[in-house]
Amino acid sequence: MSFIIRRIMFYLVAFLVAATINFLLPRLMPGNPIDIMFANAGNTMPPEAKKALAETFGFVERPLIEEYFIYLKSVFSWDFGVSIKKYPLTVMDVLMQALPWTLFLAGTSVILAFCIGSLLGIYAAWKRGGGFDSIISPSALAVQSVPALVIGILTLYLFGLVLEVLPTSYAYDPSLDPGFSWAYISSVFYHSLMPIGTLAFVSIGGYLITMRNNMIGQLGEEHVVMGHAKGLTDKRVRYNYAARNALLPSMTAFALSLGSVMGGSLIIEIVFNYPGLGNILFQGIIARDYPLIQGQLIIMTLAMLTANLLIDFIYIFLDPRLRKA
Amino acid sequence: MRRSMILSAVTAALMAGTSVAQAEDVILTAVPHQTTAFAEVYNPFNQTSDVRSVRDFMFEQLVVFNRIQGGKAEYRLAESFDYSEDLSSVTFKIRDGVKWSDGETLDANDVYFTFNLIKEHPALDTRALWEKIDSVELVDDQHVKVNYKEPSTGLIFDVARIHTVPEHIWADIEDPVSFTNPDPVGSGPLTEIRRFTPQEYVQCRNPYYFQAEDLDVDCMRFPQIATNDQTLTAAAKGELDWFGSFLPDIEKTYVAKDPENHKYWFPGGSLVIFNLNMNASAEGNKEAFNDVDFRRAFSMAMDRQAMVDIAGYGYPTINKYPSGLGRGYHAWNNPEADAQYGKYTEYDVEAAAALLDGAGYKDVDGDGFLDTPSGKPIQFDLIVPNGWTDWVNTVQLAVEGLNEAGINASVSTPEAAAWTQQLLDGSYQGAINALVVGVTPHMAFDTFHSSKAMTSRFSVTGYTNEELDKLLDGFFKTANADEQREIMDEIQMILSKDMPHIPVFNNPYWYQYNTARFEGFFSADNAQAVPTVHDGNPERILHLLSIKPKS
Repeated sequence: MSFIIRRIMFYLVAFLVAATINFLLPRLMPGNPIDIMFANAGNTMPPEAKKALAETFGFVERPLIEEYFIYLKSVFSWDFGVSIKKYPLTVMDVLMQALPWTLFLAGTSVILAFCIGSLLGIYAAWKRGGGFDSIISPSALAVQSVPALVIGILTLYLFGLVLEVLPTSYAYDPSLDPGFSWAYISSVFYHSLMPIGTLAFVSIGGYLITMRNNMIGQLGEEHVVMGHAKGLTDKRVRYNYAARNALLPSMTAFALSLGSVMGGSLIIEIVFNYPGLGNILFQGIIARDYPLIQGQLIIMTLAMLTANLLIDFIYIFLDPRLRKA
Repeated sequence: MRRSMILSAVTAALMAGTSVAQAEDVILTAVPHQTTAFAEVYNPFNQTSDVRSVRDFMFEQLVVFNRIQGGKAEYRLAESFDYSEDLSSVTFKIRDGVKWSDGETLDANDVYFTFNLIKEHPALDTRALWEKIDSVELVDDQHVKVNYKEPSTGLIFDVARIHTVPEHIWADIEDPVSFTNPDPVGSGPLTEIRRFTPQEYVQCRNPYYFQAEDLDVDCMRFPQIATNDQTLTAAAKGELDWFGSFLPDIEKTYVAKDPENHKYWFPGGSLVIFNLNMNASAEGNKEAFNDVDFRRAFSMAMDRQAMVDIAGYGYPTINKYPSGLGRGYHAWNNPEADAQYGKYTEYDVEAAAALLDGAGYKDVDGDGFLDTPSGKPIQFDLIVPNGWTDWVNTVQLAVEGLNEAGINASVSTPEAAAWTQQLLDGSYQGAINALVVGVTPHMAFDTFHSSKAMTSRFSVTGYTNEELDKLLDGFFKTANADEQREIMDEIQMILSKDMPHIPVFNNPYWYQYNTARFEGFFSADNAQAVPTVHDGNPERILHLLSIKPKS
């Protein structure tokens, strides 16, 4: 029990630290949103009008420390204010518009990558040194070290522009209205093929390698030898004896990537013009939309910490030694 | 592709209640703005909205001044305007019989109301009108009189740009600044939002439009597009009718896909210059930048033709006017300025080096680069926003020329927001920058007025000149064309002589079009007005009214 309380306290402190950094970072960037908004307008806005506008966005001149406490209050009351770039929409409105797409895109691809990568890793380790292993494992390493951007652009070019079989942009056909219709749902699926495929493809390698290495470690263990000796089928030994234990470290990586899903997959979303959180964050940073950046980072932080916390709990469940700690 | 067109036709028909007339609507596809998602904001005073078809298309101006036609007045909601004898007030006569899109009458009361609305809420006064106007009077139902603080024939360019809103609706709005105007009632050609999703919206015909007989487009469709690359992808497939974006190597990437119909026209727009900060923090730079010989040598080290051809893919218009006038204003040109100072905008590195040598610039500290006559080192970065590739390459070419002439300059590429900030707070040494051009050359030159110094990104050189101030002030104090010309001649002489900024080229107005479905587009052969579809180009209303479906 004390373990759980200690963990929760730890995460509270971590959250406060993250929230503080989140407050300071955007303010350290040069430039401010009002100047950027009007930097390209041919006329000069008088100071009074600029001030009036700044106030409507919630920028009142006051000491940093005062602003910090107002900010903290807004974080804990879950009210991030009004977006500057999308004025008069609130930050929550803007984020909630993008959130489902990101959850769908990044969530699906993380789960896909985890499942496929782990299965391939198990198989590669079981037949280590064989034909399958000597092709798939080095390729996984190679793919893993290619940036998502490169794969994304190559896929876009090949399937979108040369073969013209997959759409290059949007989450669904823009001429459709969102709703529970076959046309809409199939369009969402069709439009997600390339971004999800790309995202899953680049992270499969990581899971594959982790799983393969863990498995190889497990295969030398006595309980695996014991399983064979008992005359269990290969399949049963592979999955129930070796893979089950080898999965633990992979689970951590999996949970962490689920946590980072909230950040959106910035590059893939930009390449495929997908309306997710990463794209929104990128636009927000360019426009110095502080409230939006803060809101998004807080949500990312929360997701990350929650994922970590969950992992801690899952470990208690999976690893009996921790229960006594 | 065909599949999605059928789908869209089906959806459109379903949406419109499957009426046959609606299914035959003429729909023009345009991209006035790149964004990641649309959100419904139809407030014409909002500067940040991603819906950039509200001004001009939904809410019209009083008068549009046609920049390409020398500032010719194209009357919109106003049918005429008259100055008072002393040029200190202007009276607009509002067009008779204009109706709002809900059928109510639009008259001088609405215009009067709107002027007062932006006075009451300074955050709406984005053109800073109430800095320069004193009061507004409602003369009668058809006339509104605007009283200026000082006589001016130039203020009209801002005043007539006001987007009148309906009093019968906006009078009851508590906070017009944050008002999203969900059920827009407007005066423009396209006021009805037929469908709206974050990825696309369709804006259709105003049933009471005053110029309905000239409007041949029933609806405009605005697909969400976030980047130039995505624009190119959609454009190459022929999905876009009217747009404007930087497309690399346009002849190959766009025109070649359908040479019959894929076309573009890049008239010269904003003036691209190099700014040298005369209040630079580094002593040596400051000394050099304040010396006209140094600025002239800088200018002579600029290979403008290469900047246009190589860095700009040939899209910009070269600018060799020593004052920076630009070809778009050639009618104002003072040939005297060219004759006397034209040589300083000719690319000639040897002459630049000779000029510096004659002015006493020598390499004192032996680092291979010139130092100032008083022996201080000159070393500066030219800042350019990263990712603005045509500009980055331009600066690269500039640095090559400068290094060859013995000047220690280098390229620095901060992020756009940081670049803006350094210009605004005066911490930069040298920079590439662009000036927005107006109806007359006065707008770009007025950035040198001492009252404007450091108030915007455009007035950051620190150069002032009392004589120039007087001329700039005097330009709009007269309605006499000959007098204005004389003043402009003198302004050009001063700027050519002092060369406070170094012009290199005029950025193009980005404009591409597709004639597969429509005709009547503006082009070099049909140069009626600035052709861009972007918000901020008031002439786009004229363009829309001239576009017709192909017969």
